[in-house]
Amino acid sequence: MQSQQVQKNPAKRVTTLKPFEIRGRFFTAVAVHLTGPADAAFYQALDTQIGQTPQFFDSAPIVLDLQNAAGFGSSEEMGLLVAQMRSRNLLVFGIQHGTDQQMQAARGAGLIPMSGGKDKPLDRQRPPRAQAETPAQKAPEPASRLITEPVRSGQTIFADRGDLVVVGPVSSGAELIASGNIHVYGTLRGRAMAGVNGDHNARIFCHSLDAELLAIAGLYRTSDDLPADMRKKNVQAYLQDDVLRIEAIG
Amino acid sequence: MSKVIVVTSGKGGVGKTTSAAAVSAGLAMRGHKTCVIDFDVGLRNLDMIMGCERRVVFDFINVIQGDAKLKQALIKDKRIDTLSVLPTSQTRDKDALTKEGVKQVLDELREEFDYIVCDSPAGIERGAHLAMYFADEAIVVTNPEVSSVRDSDRVLGLLNSKTHIAERGDGSAIRAHLLLTRFDNRRSASGEMMSVEDVLDILAIPLLGIIPESQTVLKASNVGMPVVMDDKSAAGKAYTEAVGRLLGEQIEIRMDVGERRGLWQRLMGRTA
Repeated sequence: MQSQQVQKNPAKRVTTLKPFEIRGRFFTAVAVHLTGPADAAFYQALDTQIGQTPQFFDSAPIVLDLQNAAGFGSSEEMGLLVAQMRSRNLLVFGIQHGTDQQMQAARGAGLIPMSGGKDKPLDRQRPPRAQAETPAQKAPEPASRLITEPVRSGQTIFADRGDLVVVGPVSSGAELIASGNIHVYGTLRGRAMAGVNGDHNARIFCHSLDAELLAIAGLYRTSDDLPADMRKKNVQAYLQDDVLRIEAIG
Repeated sequence: MSKVIVVTSGKGGVGKTTSAAAVSAGLAMRGHKTCVIDFDVGLRNLDMIMGCERRVVFDFINVIQGDAKLKQALIKDKRIDTLSVLPTSQTRDKDALTKEGVKQVLDELREEFDYIVCDSPAGIERGAHLAMYFADEAIVVTNPEVSSVRDSDRVLGLLNSKTHIAERGDGSAIRAHLLLTRFDNRRSASGEMMSVEDVLDILAIPLLGIIPESQTVLKASNVGMPVVMDDKSAAGKAYTEAVGRLLGEQIEIRMDVGERRGLWQRLMGRTA
């Protein structure tokens, strides 16, 4: 119905719409600071870096920063570098901080000389290996989560990267969710879901079992299915051959 | 240093307004300048329990909206001169409450009163949220039965997350006390009601007092007298002791609460 109307009045449509509009827009580009010549060692280091964080570099818009790099004075040399990088799916489109000669060479190789812009750390994208190599600088954040207050009805506590430890009671109507194990040093009256990302080895431990629901890797048992002789006991729950088992401990 | 105390519960009908009236009257009887505010906009009850319903001219909502001065809306109690009541509107609803308005009124009250008792509506929506939002302490009123305990637990969770003090994020928390109301020793002993230990085990907060189920509470409400002023009744005594504990006094909690049955009733074997 609408398309018919448009076809009837093509002239009117042209007069009411501008052929284009101009809007300012900000993009984030990755600046690659070159510190030496583009030799075999450079390309090898580049490949290693890409191998560590492939998603990050895939199709990323890239600006070359030549502040600390000599050479690249000719369009051929610049063109070779760009071709090599593009073959690795690094989309180089501009250069910055080059000498006049480098800028000239960049224009010849089809790059845009950029001015301005601000550096911003890309912390979250830092490759994991780099962190591991410098443990003295920054200890890795603990993946487990510790709760020392009672967990109240209606509250949900989520430990998305590891174990969840609760020191205190967990009320009926409260939810504990963890990608790893769940430990409750108190009475568990609410729901506990361990290994939510599919970890079949996750377990649930509690000092006194009175739970509404226990689940490990999506396999669950409600309070009706929990063995009556385990109630109020110090227990652990685990998966064995895709069956949620509960046994007393201690 | 004035204190804002919210009386809340989540569940309705557990005795919030009765407790707010009794606690505020109890505080005032000890000479503390006390104001009690009704946050149950649209279901105005506190003024009746306090026996001042015929003296309401302006209300809390009028003050928030700038139609009246706080002094005009405050009703001084005729029996206890350190007690004032800020009644709420019967014609409006909870949407008339604003965070800024509530803060402004409370700040103004803090200058004049030692204790400001906020009588929260039931539920966990706007009215209840704003009643607890600026509180320094909370009295969680709970009946010894599962639904009331669960709702109180939910409210405790909100007190620890959705209040001014909790949102400061410096680890400080509202001090919450449990007031167990409508408690019947015999029914608890026979298993019809939850025991004090069970409730404390689930809620894990300090016990402020146990108020026995009592006919005197209903009678006191009907004549517009806070039950704490009836020093002969068991409920009145229990509230007086709870107020003492709220002020930091060490008073032992008696478990054998409940109306003593008279000799005649015991002989007849009637259940009062």
